[in-house]
Amino acid sequence: MTAENWRIRVVHTTGYRYAAPVVQSYNEARLTPRSDRWQNLVVSRIETTPPTRSFRYTDYWGTEVTSFDLHAPHTELKIVSSSVVETGATVEPVDGASWADLRAPEVVDRYAEYLEWTRYVPRHAELGQLARTMRKGRKPHEAVLAIAELIHDRLTYRRGTTGVHSSAADAWEAREGVCQDYAHLTLAMLRSIGIPARYVSGYLHTNPDGKVNETVRGESHAWIEAWTGGWWGFDPTNDIEIGPRHIWVAIGRDYADVSPLKGTYSGGAATAIEVSVDVTRLA
Amino acid sequence: MLARNAESLYWIGRYVERADDTARILDVSVHHLLEDATVDADATSRQLLVVLGIVPPEGTAFDMRSLTDLVAFSREHSGSIVSSISSARENTRVAREVVSTELWECINAMWNALPERQKAAKRTGPHSFFSFVEERAAMFAGLADSTMSRDDGWRYLVLGRSVERVDMIVRLLMSRVGDKPSSPGWVTVLRSAGAHDTYLRTYRGALDARRVVQFLLLDRLFPRSVFHALRQAESCLEHLDHRPVTRVGSKAEAIRLLGKARSDLEFLRPDELLENLTDRLMELQTTVREVGEAVSQQYFHSVPWVAWTNAEVSL
Amino acid sequence: MERSTTTDTSRRAPRRARDTGPELGGLFDGYLDPRRPHAGAYDEMFGPDASVRQAYRRLHEQLAASQPGDLAARSEALDRALVDQGITFSLSGQERPFPLDLVPRVITAAEWSRLEKGIVQRVRALEMFLADIYGDQQIIRDGVLPRRLITSCEHFHRSAAFVLPPNGVRVHVSGIDVVRDEEGTFRVLEDNLRNPSGVSYVMENRRTMARVFPDLFAKHRVRAVGDYAVHLLRALRAAAAANVADPNVVVLTPGVHNSAYFEHSLLARQMGVELVEGRDLFCRDNVIYLRTTEGERQVDVIYRRIDDDYLDPVQFRPDSVLGVAGVLNAARAGNVVIANAVGNGVGDDKLVYTYLPEILKYYLGEAPLLPNVDTYRCWLPDEQEQVLDRISELVVKPVEGSGGYGIVFGPNSSAKDLMALRKRVRANPRGWIAQPVVQLSTVPTKVGQRLKPRHVDLRPFAVNDGKSVFVLPGGLTRVAIPEGSLIVNSSQGGGSKDTWVLAPRSSTADAELSGQGLAGSSPMDEVAPERGPELTAAQQQQQQQQQQGGEETDARTQR
Repeated sequence: MTAENWRIRVVHTTGYRYAAPVVQSYNEARLTPRSDRWQNLVVSRIETTPPTRSFRYTDYWGTEVTSFDLHAPHTELKIVSSSVVETGATVEPVDGASWADLRAPEVVDRYAEYLEWTRYVPRHAELGQLARTMRKGRKPHEAVLAIAELIHDRLTYRRGTTGVHSSAADAWEAREGVCQDYAHLTLAMLRSIGIPARYVSGYLHTNPDGKVNETVRGESHAWIEAWTGGWWGFDPTNDIEIGPRHIWVAIGRDYADVSPLKGTYSGGAATAIEVSVDVTRLA
Repeated sequence: MLARNAESLYWIGRYVERADDTARILDVSVHHLLEDATVDADATSRQLLVVLGIVPPEGTAFDMRSLTDLVAFSREHSGSIVSSISSARENTRVAREVVSTELWECINAMWNALPERQKAAKRTGPHSFFSFVEERAAMFAGLADSTMSRDDGWRYLVLGRSVERVDMIVRLLMSRVGDKPSSPGWVTVLRSAGAHDTYLRTYRGALDARRVVQFLLLDRLFPRSVFHALRQAESCLEHLDHRPVTRVGSKAEAIRLLGKARSDLEFLRPDELLENLTDRLMELQTTVREVGEAVSQQYFHSVPWVAWTNAEVSL
Repeated sequence: MERSTTTDTSRRAPRRARDTGPELGGLFDGYLDPRRPHAGAYDEMFGPDASVRQAYRRLHEQLAASQPGDLAARSEALDRALVDQGITFSLSGQERPFPLDLVPRVITAAEWSRLEKGIVQRVRALEMFLADIYGDQQIIRDGVLPRRLITSCEHFHRSAAFVLPPNGVRVHVSGIDVVRDEEGTFRVLEDNLRNPSGVSYVMENRRTMARVFPDLFAKHRVRAVGDYAVHLLRALRAAAAANVADPNVVVLTPGVHNSAYFEHSLLARQMGVELVEGRDLFCRDNVIYLRTTEGERQVDVIYRRIDDDYLDPVQFRPDSVLGVAGVLNAARAGNVVIANAVGNGVGDDKLVYTYLPEILKYYLGEAPLLPNVDTYRCWLPDEQEQVLDRISELVVKPVEGSGGYGIVFGPNSSAKDLMALRKRVRANPRGWIAQPVVQLSTVPTKVGQRLKPRHVDLRPFAVNDGKSVFVLPGGLTRVAIPEGSLIVNSSQGGGSKDTWVLAPRSSTADAELSGQGLAGSSPMDEVAPERGPELTAAQQQQQQQQQQGGEETDARTQR
């Protein structure tokens, strides 16, 4: 293995195709990787076809949002987000809080948003029950790892069973899903035993031994972060720690807070165009 | 001004004029039915409905009462006086900040009084209802004249009124094109148009079809003549269009249509008037419709409610 | 309904009521019946010893002198005036005249001054609170308020975070609901920082009362409420970005079928600005435009009377057809100002309300000038327990309710209903608060042919232009018509009263009352209007004689 830090270029292409020409559409894209003490964003650009004038702002969760609107008739909207990121070292679990610490009123209040139930992460009796059994004899950070592993083992990764609106309960029912479902399920279990946990969206370089300047077919990805005396991330879909291959874009309570492309338009039905994520390790 | 408000004012103008003219026409017809027992009530009523563009219901034989029920009081029928007044009021309500309070209160009080007036008309005959509508319409015109600024809003209102007036006079004449030149029906036409007195003063009492048609179509001074209304509409549109003058042709379709119709009448030899009268009237009616469309296209860019759809892309 | 019964009875029994009525005179007959419900409430006209309070002395004199028949006639005139002016509100799709009671409610200058100061203080603190909550959230970091209080609030809109209004104002218009308790102390019942409505009724009630009761006004020094729109327009123009010389302000209404449409239209007219619907506006590249006959025109300030949820389909309800897609981002970009700001609901949340003393202390270092009504917070375990124990004597209110919907009066409820309520409170403690029953003060109100005590509240309106907070001297007094009812909302069949704030004896209010003439003095010499040619008396006489002579011919030509 080379150095712990990777420099990665991500080119993410996404968009919609409309059944009939659309005259008005308003969109928000959350496709710009974060720049913080773990990860450094070198450059980032978002381009649309048809071209638009975009407006950028930082939302409540600290995510960079690009908003743009279209007023000329069009049947396809394509968005290409390109960025170069220097990723951080492998994230270690934080062993900084006991179960009693997590129950302390200050902690419960401070992380209230990451403990509450949402549409994607609903209260679920069976998941809660299961989570409580995982808690026994473990410290909080160990429970996080155990739960992530459990979800990884019980679920089969399959596209098409669940959709963009599926909740943790839906995925549990199906025992199948994609990274979004793995993350929601893990969140549901963690929150049920009082561990503050949040949803992270981003990209993954699919090859652990990625060679420099080799472009691989990457993917949009999602994982979780838990607070056990400090925030740290873990990837339940692959049951691996967060490392140089992970590029993170947004955090939130669930998918709804981070959805990569969201739009409102007037007209007929829309379908997603083929999404592609090209990931190249640059250094 | 706000496009939606402009459209409302235009329609307020049209609906008030429509209510007024319908009341006048109906008043005269009802009077005619009552006075002359030899008249075939059903046939006359049906002819009137055709003039007003109302499709008569099948089967029933019309008499004075059912005719007024349909044309004056019907709430379902969009051409009735009551529904014209309701539409005028509804348009005033959504454009209240561009009409004066007096104007609003006039039309609102008129609307509020409808059920009571209708009841009274059932007791004492429809004439009281017609004169109530005519009075209120006159009051409306007077208040508009004395309380509204001569700005674009005013022009849309007058434009609507003038366009409607052309339409109604044309309909009225259409109803008589088949009559003999000496038919007493021509007096009815004059009365319906509120033109009888003026006509008598102008032509010293000599009554014949050619003069009646000439008066109602071509008279330059009488405000209810088609020519006068066309010229008024044209002048409104000229003031409304703030774009620079074009060197060739006219600035906009609506002005072109009105100008053409107006000059056709303006330079018509009076003795040619009765030739092809039907065609001429039908052409005018087409012009009215096309002017409405052109104005709407040029000025009323109001859009219907937009139904939004959310789209989200999955991972 | 009321009207028809009164006219009927007056026809049947004319002029008899006159010499009945022992102590208080005919109209007030039986007014202070000790058996009436909530007899402990503070009556604003009569003291406990049945003496007339100072503020109402003149009014009482005049009312006591009039007869029930007058009352009916005036009441009818009042209703007719309201309907003809189109002053109505829609209730389940029907247009009804806004119910205005004949007897005004009087507030003395001293009482008003206390109220005004308290409201200004509250608005200032709530402005700072909202700026903080949608900014750095210092009050939470400092541990003064629990974070959960804010994050669990339904109207805390994360999409409004970091949207900075150019002049810092979020609460351009507020309506602070106050009541008077048994001691006559004004207490705040709730704050309305989103779309408080009712100010049009304040103005129109006054205009109508002045038409119908000119004599009453002549005897009082009542402060004017008619210039509200001037203050509102100033505040809205001041809210525009600094580099807009002549800001284009519009009023955004959901449409003609909204219950407050009359108010939207009135305010737009009085301010001389466009009243628009969502479809009249559109957003392009984060700039809002108005569709006019001349093409598009940029909009700088939107006084919106549409709820947050419907305002922007991009951020909130995607199925909203009333709003303007993209308007929130336009505000974020600084190209348009939304008044009142998006997300103000976090400031008038009924649970946040209970923390107002802390909020006032934190931002202003002051104690509240107007106390709250004592409130139990069901989300704190020990207070919840008390609520559940005493539920039959409390008023339990949903935090998210407005218009009086969902409120449960413990004393009026069956044991079964209370059990159900307990369950609901336990299931969602954040969703409920409870208050002891406040016996709202009473004011004489026309009920049938008599005046009876009926409970009232008061909603004064405050306008913040960024430099100062103006409180309209008056406000909407709402009155509960059914005997003993304490729910005053017009959506629940309540009525309203004209609210008279009396001017202090010698003060700045004098200028407001008298005004300065336009010219130094009015011209002294009268100039008679010109007249056209007229016949002299002699000429007329001659004509008449002539007429008599030629009567026959005349008659013929007239045919």
